[in-house]
Amino acid sequence: MSSKSSLKIATKVQDFVVLPLSLPPLPSYPTPATHYLYLRPEAPKGTDGPDEDTPRSLFLANIPIDATEPAFRTLFKTLCGALVERVDFEAALQKPSLVALTGEAIVQGTLVNVPIEVKRGKKRKRGAEGAEDAKVKKALEEMELPKTWGREIWKSGSNATVVFVDETTRNTVLKESRRMAKKGDAVEWQSNIEELGEKRYRTHHTLTYPPKDILQQKINTYLTHFTKLESARSKLLLKQRSVPDEDGFVTVTRGGRAGPARLEEAQAAAERLKEREKKRIGGDFYRFQTREGRKLKERELKDKFEEDKKRVQSMRERRGKIRPE
Amino acid sequence: MSQLSRISQPRSDFLGAAYTGEVFKSNLFKFQVDELLGQLRPKSNKQDAVVEKELHLLKSTIDAIPARAPLSTRDAEAAMERNDGIVVPFPYPRPPKDANYRLQYAKPAHVNAVGSYPLKTITKNEDSLVVDFVVTMPSDIFQEKDYMNYRYFYKRAYYLACLAAGIKSSIGNKYSLHFDYLHGNRLLPVLVAEVKMNLAHSRRSFSIVILPAIAERLFPMEKLLPNKNCVRPNHMAGDSIPSEKEPTPFYNASLRANAFVTAYLKLQHDASRQCDAYKDTCVLGRIWLRQRGLTSRVEGGGFGNFEWAVTVALLLQSGGPNGKPAFSSGYSSYQLFKATLKYLASKDLSKIPQTLGGDPITFPRGQGVPVLFDGIRGLNLFFKMTAWSYRLLQHEARSSVALLNDSTFDQFSAAFILRVDQPVCKYDVNIKIPIDSLSNIAQDEDSTAWLDERCHDVFSCLSQGLTDRVKLVSVHRPAEPQWNLNSSPTAMEQAAYISVGLLVDPTNVHRLVDHGPAAEEKKAAVAFRKFWGTRAELRRFKDGSILESLVWSKKDHGSTILQQIIFYILNRHLGEPCAKHSTYIGDQDTRLLSPSLKGSSLNESSFQPMMAAFKALEDDIRALDDLPLHLRHVLGADSQLSHGSVEVPFAPGRTRMSTPADVIIQFEGSARWPDDIDAIQRTKTAFLLKLAELMEDKIPQLIARVGLENENSPLLNQAFLDLNYPTGAAFRLRIHHDREATLLEKRLSAKGMVTLEKAETALALATYRRVFIRQPAHTQALQNLVTRFPALPTAIRLMKKWVSSHLLSPHLSEPLIELFVTRTFTNPYPWQTPSSATTGFLRTLIFLSRWDWRNEPWIVDLGTGDMKANDVAAITTRFEAWRKIDPALNRVVMFAASSIDVDGTTRTDHAHPPKVVAGRLTALAKSAVRVSKEKGLELDFESLFVADLNDYDIIIRLNPKFTKSTGASKPKHGGFKNLQLQLIRNSHEEDNVGYSPVNLFFRELEQKFGHALVFFWNSYGGDVITCLWNPQTEKRPWKLKVGYSTMPVGEPESDAVSVTANKGAILNDIARLGGDMVLDIKVKTS
Repeated sequence: MSSKSSLKIATKVQDFVVLPLSLPPLPSYPTPATHYLYLRPEAPKGTDGPDEDTPRSLFLANIPIDATEPAFRTLFKTLCGALVERVDFEAALQKPSLVALTGEAIVQGTLVNVPIEVKRGKKRKRGAEGAEDAKVKKALEEMELPKTWGREIWKSGSNATVVFVDETTRNTVLKESRRMAKKGDAVEWQSNIEELGEKRYRTHHTLTYPPKDILQQKINTYLTHFTKLESARSKLLLKQRSVPDEDGFVTVTRGGRAGPARLEEAQAAAERLKEREKKRIGGDFYRFQTREGRKLKERELKDKFEEDKKRVQSMRERRGKIRPE
Repeated sequence: MSQLSRISQPRSDFLGAAYTGEVFKSNLFKFQVDELLGQLRPKSNKQDAVVEKELHLLKSTIDAIPARAPLSTRDAEAAMERNDGIVVPFPYPRPPKDANYRLQYAKPAHVNAVGSYPLKTITKNEDSLVVDFVVTMPSDIFQEKDYMNYRYFYKRAYYLACLAAGIKSSIGNKYSLHFDYLHGNRLLPVLVAEVKMNLAHSRRSFSIVILPAIAERLFPMEKLLPNKNCVRPNHMAGDSIPSEKEPTPFYNASLRANAFVTAYLKLQHDASRQCDAYKDTCVLGRIWLRQRGLTSRVEGGGFGNFEWAVTVALLLQSGGPNGKPAFSSGYSSYQLFKATLKYLASKDLSKIPQTLGGDPITFPRGQGVPVLFDGIRGLNLFFKMTAWSYRLLQHEARSSVALLNDSTFDQFSAAFILRVDQPVCKYDVNIKIPIDSLSNIAQDEDSTAWLDERCHDVFSCLSQGLTDRVKLVSVHRPAEPQWNLNSSPTAMEQAAYISVGLLVDPTNVHRLVDHGPAAEEKKAAVAFRKFWGTRAELRRFKDGSILESLVWSKKDHGSTILQQIIFYILNRHLGEPCAKHSTYIGDQDTRLLSPSLKGSSLNESSFQPMMAAFKALEDDIRALDDLPLHLRHVLGADSQLSHGSVEVPFAPGRTRMSTPADVIIQFEGSARWPDDIDAIQRTKTAFLLKLAELMEDKIPQLIARVGLENENSPLLNQAFLDLNYPTGAAFRLRIHHDREATLLEKRLSAKGMVTLEKAETALALATYRRVFIRQPAHTQALQNLVTRFPALPTAIRLMKKWVSSHLLSPHLSEPLIELFVTRTFTNPYPWQTPSSATTGFLRTLIFLSRWDWRNEPWIVDLGTGDMKANDVAAITTRFEAWRKIDPALNRVVMFAASSIDVDGTTRTDHAHPPKVVAGRLTALAKSAVRVSKEKGLELDFESLFVADLNDYDIIIRLNPKFTKSTGASKPKHGGFKNLQLQLIRNSHEEDNVGYSPVNLFFRELEQKFGHALVFFWNSYGGDVITCLWNPQTEKRPWKLKVGYSTMPVGEPESDAVSVTANKGAILNDIARLGGDMVLDIKVKTS
């Protein structure tokens, strides 16, 4: 990119430090290229607030697509010998929660917690994982579907958070990056690129078809859990149905009799009834109805005429004159 | 004129106009017709003034031409050439040398303009303004018997030459003067004076046709009726005069037509006075004919503006039952237009002649020339037509009647705007026969008559030989050029050719055996043998009959059966040089779609194994006993199962399917299904595992694998079952459970959901509908259509091939392309349903190129037959709503709905295709249409399928090792079939079923770099991926989250920082990601 070399690269942007990374030239694309990583001390916003990891974390923006934890370890080691505890990739955290796995049930608008062994939560909060949480995590993993991708690739321009061993290390990294940027130097980006290419897709293809027994087991675990949850839920409902609350009222809940009608079925039945009713009377019964019907029709025709007129008008405006080709 | 303006402006009481249904098809149609008429009606008075002035000048010039004394033919001709430099345009045969009559010139009886100009039915859109100017010759220069033996025509020719001489000598420098034949009729030369100036405010040329005529009653009508002879054979004295004389209808009609030029003008005037809508009908007819390339000239079919106008005028007076008028003068222009077309379409005038007015007479049996006889003026209006041009006219009229009867769609542009005269789009097969390859013309023979006969030969032998394989045989002969005053008519150029257009009948065209007459029918059998020569053979058939027959073979000569037959016929009946030098233009699809299977015609049989395998699959699944629930449906949901995939999926025992065909199965309802979306997915997986086990137990060597998809989004389907049959067939089964939809809908309507979550649910619901409801229904509908339209699947395959060779296939889903093509078949107007894939494809391109997707929805009737105008209106309303929500077209660019999918966004939601791709599709279609228009019959069909890579910013070349995986893979082993099957199984090729690394790579590129680049690729084995930079990747103010790799650029004079795409790094990223699959990446240097 010779044209770009004339550009002046900024060394910092807002509160970000810009760390240039030199990308390895490849046989298929030998032009040397530089990637720009943006670093900033982590500053969580919103409800989460700072936790104990915050002071030793760096927020990285615009990470390379093939970034991995080992790659970042190597990077910061070569930069200033900094030790990384772990890397959290933003994209990996944004997994949708599994709907049924939370042990909650909404009963008549009130949220009820269902007591079963695996408690709620699939929120992977960093650090502070109690023994309970570990159990939850394990149970969830047992139920999760097998992964189909070997190595993950991030969207171009993704973000991550790096947690260093301590705050000093983090600050050294920031300082060193700033120095590097000013000098106009670049750190070499090393990620194991031998794993990429066709090989990675082949692995994906193989992983798409997990061994049947493993899949079966995961499904079984899940369904067992789900059944438990369901029965707990129905038990609770039953209890609500039979026990009056403190004011002496018995809550009306679903599922009182065997096989209650589903809402949509009831609606369909109502629709049918209406239809039958209409057929029996046979349309317009009174003369005024016929008259009104006719008027309505006339009005419709009139409206349609106006509408068509407008349509042709807009067509004319759009394509100018009508001309045979 | 007051009547005209009434029609052109909607009446003020719109209730009256609102009921235009009967009178005017629909409001929309009426408005557009009004506008069209308003626009084409010439209004510039300035122009009229110029024309008037010109005509006046001409009139006074002609009046001033001095009379010439009678001379013998020879002297007259010589004097003319010597003194005035003009060769008298005598018709063939030239006047005898010993003629005892004399030629002379005297002041014309009167001169005046006739035709469309004085009637004001001329339209503005024509390239040139032509005014017919009649010069009525004085009656006293003719003798009583001059109608005989061309004498009238000789005198007329001389008179014309005198007119030419007079004009040339006085005001000749104002014009460029030429001779031409009136409507290509070789008996009637005319003088064309092209005015050397442009008309005011237009680039149209202006020419005056000077046309000598005679008084109506000069020659008696009885002598010139079509059944009379007026050209006596040249018999020697002493020969007995044959009592039966061959009638000369063409000669007679030419003479009468020449006498009645002014009378017909009067007829038209009367008609326009009698019927308000007459003139508009003439204009509509004029446009209709022009768009179809039909003209009054002999080579243009012999039915043009004049014939149209007179036919309408006559039918306003007569033609109905009991001598009443066929049309009421109260008809609207639309009704008159439609009724005329209906009249043309429904009557077979070549078999049953029609007489309008006057006494019926008997007509000679011409060579299929239609007869519409004007009894009062004693003229067959259609005398210039031929058997084939009449068939073509009927064909066009029928298509247009069908079009006007269609009440579902607005057919205005099909009726009047689209041009329908391109042979490659119009005919399935075109044959070019060079004129000089035909038998030599005799020395003293009239070249035009000779050519007419050859055309007739071509027509009759092809129609006789091809029987019901073709629906229409149309012969087009080249036009004769105008010629200079000082020369005789120029001969046709050497390169001229007769072109023959064929419309095939797709159900019969591939027939292998033709049955002739039975052996007992001696006469017919002899005729059959005479026609077919050695090709005819007597065969005994299964039902015991012994018939003369013809047997054709697919494998012969690497050409289709149709081509073989045509060349055999040409060779046998028109001589070897003709067969050798003729060019056959057709069946381009075969070469493009299966280059390896030369000659074998494409038809549904290549997909038969696929359909059989699918049937077997359904039977196998239904036969399983231990399924926990009963099976309700097994539905195909893949274009491979509707004959529509580009590649033939597989040939049993020879190739294996590379992409499993999608199948949807549905079980009976049960209360035991969980009422939770995630749990449903897991239960479905459990079902599939069970199904896999059962199938593997049941069918030996079958490989059943449960695969995962969308493993991170429980709202979507998460598991499928791949069944790889030992035969090579492969299917991908997904379970449809209808409760999913309800749960998703409930979730969507629940309160208090985050926007992101809501979008996710909406997406899941749309995906559910597409995968489980729309796709199977679509496949089903197409399966039905394929049986109705045999050419449809191949046209679809061609279109897919075209889209993919222009690298757009990743953006346009297969069902969308199928919708594009199906429209050409279910709503084919102005053509009829295409009967070959090539025409289907080319017409689809035309429709696509004209589709203004910003402002119009694409609506297709998928053949369910119950689509009505209300449905179309409802879809249009939906479309307009989308445009209101999203006027910038960021979400829905193309809107394509069908009778089974009124949503219209099933295939195109979420900017798929994006605007840039939609624009490119239109541009490509436009340029393809332009090329095919320009090249005509010379079109190199394959050149339409070549992509231009210069337009792209980046070209990623892929390693060919990985691109080959699409398309049916062939096992390398030969030998015994059972061993072969064993080998297929053992070679672990099932591992490759459904595996396309390039596809995965491409999808990942789109996912990871979609904000910065748009990617293009031929998804059928293309070896390049090309990209365009998104314009927003250019420098812009600093922003962190832009969705692609960036670099911070410091502004030179300030501290401000801008951001721009780090293009080098992105390309490096792509190279790293592609690894060994990428050969190199080229960047366009501007």
